Amino acid sequence: MRDKLFAPARDPLWSAVAAVACSLLVSFLAIAATGRDPVAGFGNLLAGALGGPGPLGETAIKSAVLILTGLSVAVAFTVGLFNIGAEGQLIWGGLAAAVAGRFDNPLALPLSLLSAALAGAAWGVLPGLLKVRRGVHEVISTILLNWIAIHLVHGWLVAGPLAAAGGGASISVAGTEPIVHAAWLPRFFPGSRFDLGFPLALLIAAGVWFLLTRTRRGFEWRAVGAGPEAAQASGIPAARRVCEAMALSGALAGLAGALLILGTEHKYPGVFRTGYGFDGIAVALVGGGSAAGTAVAGLFFGAVRAGSTRLQLSGIHPSFAELIQGIAVLLVAAPRIFLPLWKKLRGGEASGFRPQASGERR
Amino acid sequence: MNAILDFAPPLVFAALGGVLSERAGVVNIGLEGMMRFGAFAAAAGAIWTGSPWFGLLCGALAGAAAAAVHALLSLRFRADQVVSGIALNLVALGLVTYLLQSLFGSSGVSPEAPSLPRDRYGHTALAYAALVVPVLFHLWLSHTAAGLRVRAVGEHPRAAATLGVRVLSLRAWCVLGSGLLAGLGGATLSVGILGQFDSRMPAGQGFMALAAMVFGKWTPLGAAGAAFFFAAADALQRQLSFSLHAADLRLEGVFLALPYALTLLVLALGIGRTRAPAADGVPYEPEGR
Repeated sequence: MRDKLFAPARDPLWSAVAAVACSLLVSFLAIAATGRDPVAGFGNLLAGALGGPGPLGETAIKSAVLILTGLSVAVAFTVGLFNIGAEGQLIWGGLAAAVAGRFDNPLALPLSLLSAALAGAAWGVLPGLLKVRRGVHEVISTILLNWIAIHLVHGWLVAGPLAAAGGGASISVAGTEPIVHAAWLPRFFPGSRFDLGFPLALLIAAGVWFLLTRTRRGFEWRAVGAGPEAAQASGIPAARRVCEAMALSGALAGLAGALLILGTEHKYPGVFRTGYGFDGIAVALVGGGSAAGTAVAGLFFGAVRAGSTRLQLSGIHPSFAELIQGIAVLLVAAPRIFLPLWKKLRGGEASGFRPQASGERR
Repeated sequence: MNAILDFAPPLVFAALGGVLSERAGVVNIGLEGMMRFGAFAAAAGAIWTGSPWFGLLCGALAGAAAAAVHALLSLRFRADQVVSGIALNLVALGLVTYLLQSLFGSSGVSPEAPSLPRDRYGHTALAYAALVVPVLFHLWLSHTAAGLRVRAVGEHPRAAATLGVRVLSLRAWCVLGSGLLAGLGGATLSVGILGQFDSRMPAGQGFMALAAMVFGKWTPLGAAGAAFFFAAADALQRQLSFSLHAADLRLEGVFLALPYALTLLVLALGIGRTRAPAADGVPYEPEGR
């Protein structure tokens, strides 16, 4: 069951499609059950995601961030680690971008992106090191690191040492000083917030796909994920590879934070609870852990997130997006639910997607 | 000291829930979501019936219902236990906000719910329960046959099965009990402490309970002790933040991060040989299938 995990197997893809379809169906029924018009609700959802340049721009912005956090989780999956820490890595990346983006120079944008990637990588490599050196399970360490990042950055750095002068009095001015104009992600279309982030995220997704499937390093990462002992025995430094992949994983999440800061916030705000890092887990799981699947899942959930803001027109709270996501993950998590269906359709055995090493804990 | 007895119970109950589930070999990342369901159901139940005790019951049952989903997915359908827990948290986040808005027409807080009576020291009965339950739990887990079976299933399910223990159903009961405790913890937040449901609840307390469980080395007394210690750190931070604000030092975040950092440190340094139950998180496949 495990060998098909990272190969472009068809079953996980189908279970992802089925999960998404079922989650939409369940949410459709949920809207109807609470006495609202589900057709109008889904119409608004669609209009908010795809209806015109404005909504398309929102979808692009949200998808870009979700693709990057999804890739972050997917890259960690390849070496068999379950990175629940994308949220913390995203926070440090965003903060690094907000700090680097305050220095006015022609290279402000690339430098901000680079600092975000480095900050995310630093926070991401920690659970990798703790795992290979001290045997600390990454699920626990990344959860702890998330909350350390949240409290240190929001409760101390952004409120204290890095707070804008005169800020803190009200929420709207709380946060760091604004970044310089040169560090903004350029926008291309009037009337739309579509910015460089989306093409950048797609480019990075292509790069990750190439790295994982077409290079020696990617092969070694996958080998470590499939079995660290076997990889070690065949001459691959498994511990090193785990740390490298976790560094890349953290860098991707850090970049996601940078897109939010450089693209839309233009400073590190006083209140910055995005949840994008946690959603990245959902994106990677539904995407089956492959770069391409993650990009597609990121697009889908980005559209749902963008569209959900319009749900309010039908009297439905935007948090509905999270519900759809959660149900999709519930269903992807348990492909055996679809087992009877599979057997009918394909006459085969369903193989579920699960991260490799999470069976052997701590 | 008063503040500690106020803040600790939610953490204590949820951490004990974590211990129960994980000692039986089922990882429970979903504590946060179960607490959220519990907190909301408790407030809703208390508002509808006017009785905070009924609310408490609703909260515990809602936590157990959420846990039933976790048990179904991870035990019946062999879903990855971490993934299933994460999915539960996501669903809790979305569904509870959705319900809050559909039932009470608010996306921030619920209407005021009747809250539990307090004694002359200002404590609810739950504060005392948080002192007693860990001890009872410890006695049950360490000194009864049922407790032994739970531990056996978490350490070596195959051996336990050989001796006639029905591994999957025992694990399912433990997960349900875990949800009951986590739901109770969530209910403590809404009808015990605040007197209403806040859409941000439980604001990471489920994860902190998880940290307390690890810090307490997967033992009931250790986890409860860690929960009290974390609550003390929180209370201290609240006390200090007044004087720190006066000195224009915004250090709350450092104090809030401290429990997590300490837990990580304990894990990293391996102080006192922290070890999870051997079969924790390992799915169990009955033989002959």
